[in-house]
Amino acid sequence: MISIKKISKEFREGIRGKRVKALEDLDLEITKGEVFGFLGPNGAGKSTAIKILLNLIYPDKGNASIMDKDVADKEVRRYVGYLPENPYFYDYLTAEELLWFGGKTSGLNKQKLHERSEFLLNKVNLYHAKKRPLRTYSKGMVQRAGLALALVHDPEVVILDEPMSGLDPIGRKMVGDLILELKSQGKTVFFSSHILTDIERFCDRVGIIIDGRLRLVDNLTHILSDGGNLEDVFLREVKTAGGGIET
Amino acid sequence: MRTLWPIAFITFKEGVRNRAIYGISIFALLLLGANLLISNMFMQEVGKVAVDMALSTVSFAGLLLVLFVGINLMAKDLDKRTIYMVLSRPISRPQYIVGKFFGMVVLLLVTLLFLSTFAIISIQLVKMSAPTYFARFSWSLVFLSLFFATIGLVLLTAQSFLFSSFTSTSFITLVLTVVSYIIGQSLSDVKTLIENSQIVGIKISPVTVKVIQVAYYVFPNLSLFDIKTQAAHGLSLSVSYIFWIVLYGFIYTCLAIAFAALVFRKKEFP
Amino acid sequence: MQRLSLIVLILALASAQVFVLGRATEEKNLLPLYQGDDAVMPSPVLKVAVFEFDGLASDFMFLKALVFMGSTLERADLPTLVRTPFKREKKSISIIEEWEWKWLYGILDASTGLDPYFLDPYYVANANLTWGGGLIRETNLLLEKGSRYRNWDWQLPFYVGFNNFFFLHDNIKASEYLMEASRRPGGNPGFASLASKLAYEEHKTEISILLLEEITKTTDDEALKKMYLIRLGALKSILTVEKSVAAYKKRFGKTPRTVEELLQRHVLKELPIDPYGGKYYIDPQGTVRTTSEARLMPGTH
Repeated sequence: MISIKKISKEFREGIRGKRVKALEDLDLEITKGEVFGFLGPNGAGKSTAIKILLNLIYPDKGNASIMDKDVADKEVRRYVGYLPENPYFYDYLTAEELLWFGGKTSGLNKQKLHERSEFLLNKVNLYHAKKRPLRTYSKGMVQRAGLALALVHDPEVVILDEPMSGLDPIGRKMVGDLILELKSQGKTVFFSSHILTDIERFCDRVGIIIDGRLRLVDNLTHILSDGGNLEDVFLREVKTAGGGIET
Repeated sequence: MRTLWPIAFITFKEGVRNRAIYGISIFALLLLGANLLISNMFMQEVGKVAVDMALSTVSFAGLLLVLFVGINLMAKDLDKRTIYMVLSRPISRPQYIVGKFFGMVVLLLVTLLFLSTFAIISIQLVKMSAPTYFARFSWSLVFLSLFFATIGLVLLTAQSFLFSSFTSTSFITLVLTVVSYIIGQSLSDVKTLIENSQIVGIKISPVTVKVIQVAYYVFPNLSLFDIKTQAAHGLSLSVSYIFWIVLYGFIYTCLAIAFAALVFRKKEFP
Repeated sequence: MQRLSLIVLILALASAQVFVLGRATEEKNLLPLYQGDDAVMPSPVLKVAVFEFDGLASDFMFLKALVFMGSTLERADLPTLVRTPFKREKKSISIIEEWEWKWLYGILDASTGLDPYFLDPYYVANANLTWGGGLIRETNLLLEKGSRYRNWDWQLPFYVGFNNFFFLHDNIKASEYLMEASRRPGGNPGFASLASKLAYEEHKTEISILLLEEITKTTDDEALKKMYLIRLGALKSILTVEKSVAAYKKRFGKTPRTVEELLQRHVLKELPIDPYGGKYYIDPQGTVRTTSEARLMPGTH
């Protein structure tokens, strides 16, 4: 479903163009119907990998494809729903108009668009605020509106960048329920987080990324089978990665 | 077209609900109101002054709109990453640029139409209070001047889109657009001057002459669209002039947008 | 693929743009210039309108004046090629019209109103408005203003003096300003003696030559210099004829009635050539004149 092959990416920073490695030889395969958790400390390269999948940035080396189509093909995004990290939308647009835009550009017809829009606005609990401009929304409300936008065209693949950040416990539960629901519908979900409990609760498989390198990819059940928990595994990986750099 | 329309639409909505546009409109309306008072202070060419004031106000308000609303609409997409919500859809970068541009053009047209209506009303009011000074007055030239001003502003918008496609901050775009506007307004005068420099009696190096001649074709020639003087004095304007100027505006606009699209294809949004 | 088509599109548009702009420019050049009363905003109004940018606005107005001169003087000196939609045709030479000179004066006045210390507009006004436009009194007003502000500059009072003497025949005022010029730093002390000579109605042509030579010396613009030299040549020719008339008077005790008499009696070997293409003659008062005098001394007729 999602396939990332040998992707490397460098950024130039500052005026002098100092090179900073964001991703190095990233290899990842995610199969249909899987909920994949992308785990890593801040600045590890999670968002970079996701943005490459959305064609927002281009890899220096390697290639990425979704449903066997290269991500450079814009048609790919007809089947992909994306929630950016700390999403920000047009200030003066209402949630209803936001979903209208998402549906229209994804080719939904009028009736289907209306249906999906009403359904999702209810789902993310924004129905009462659907005619208010987004600038009057709280951070959590914007996050929920973004989630509705990501799902409005009923995508096969859902990519969520830190979907839980900025949400209160009720909101987190709502997002969690949504992910489980998507899973039950056979959708593929790829989401990143640095919150271990979220990953533990919803994921089938986990990838741990540190300093742009994928350290571990495994089934969650397998990781937890020898009695440990995700936190221990994660901290161990961070430690070995850090130790590797020091020596 | 199916993908361009939603982008244009949300761009227009976002722009039209922006507070800045109300500020600019109110400012323009005040100036048009002042037109009634100021025109009456002149003794002879009341008609000329009234038309001058009305047309200049519309042009100036349009300029402010392009500089502060237009550039902001584009820049905010890049600064605040609202562009993610567009590019994560099945929309290519060139489509984004064109759609966004259409939205801005619609916004510009609606605002200018609104202001032009008031400009025409203000001219009409002055005309009614002092009909004798409107001997050489022609409405069609006033309309044509407003139309030309609109083309010039659309062109400037296209130019600002081109700048924002390769600059990193909106401030640089703003500065470049202002510079481009100033150059565009004075370029043809400067070209006339340097090409007749011997007659006027100034010495100009051949390099400067070449630079100016090249610049003449690179920068938008905005002074071509300025027929306020003709409108104010009711001078005639040939059909072929209108034809070539409109064609020029159209081609330059397309050129700037095509260029912006080309540059934008390579742009990353980390 | 998409990239290639974009590049092709850009190239096509760019070449179309060059062509269309060429045509549009031609059309613009055919636009009639505004013909009406003095349309320049007076400088006090401008001063309010330009906020703190007086100097810049002054420069800009001056530049506008230059552009205007560029287009109008070109028209006056050369037959212009006018392009009609179908064919090129030569249009006859038209001279600069009075309103155009007035407009030029207006804009230079505005420029110096914004920045009265700015020398260039005075210089341009003196070089063009007097000889070409015949706006002597207006130019003098401008120069007097400049002379008041630029009180270290001997050139401006010198110009005022010259104009008063040469065009307006106001010798009292002329000598006043020449004295002023001689007192300022860099001014030629010889002006003072010239000024005193002006009190008498004699040696008019010699004084003109001396003053004009001084003007020529201070001009570094080639075109202007050439113009002054031609005028100097004309004045010197007149001086030659005048001298022979004086010699004739001395020898024969009467004033010659025609210049041909000078040649017949061998007082003058040959008649000098008038660089303006006129013919010399002697008027009933016995003064030497030329048929091209209008060109030589505008404002005196």
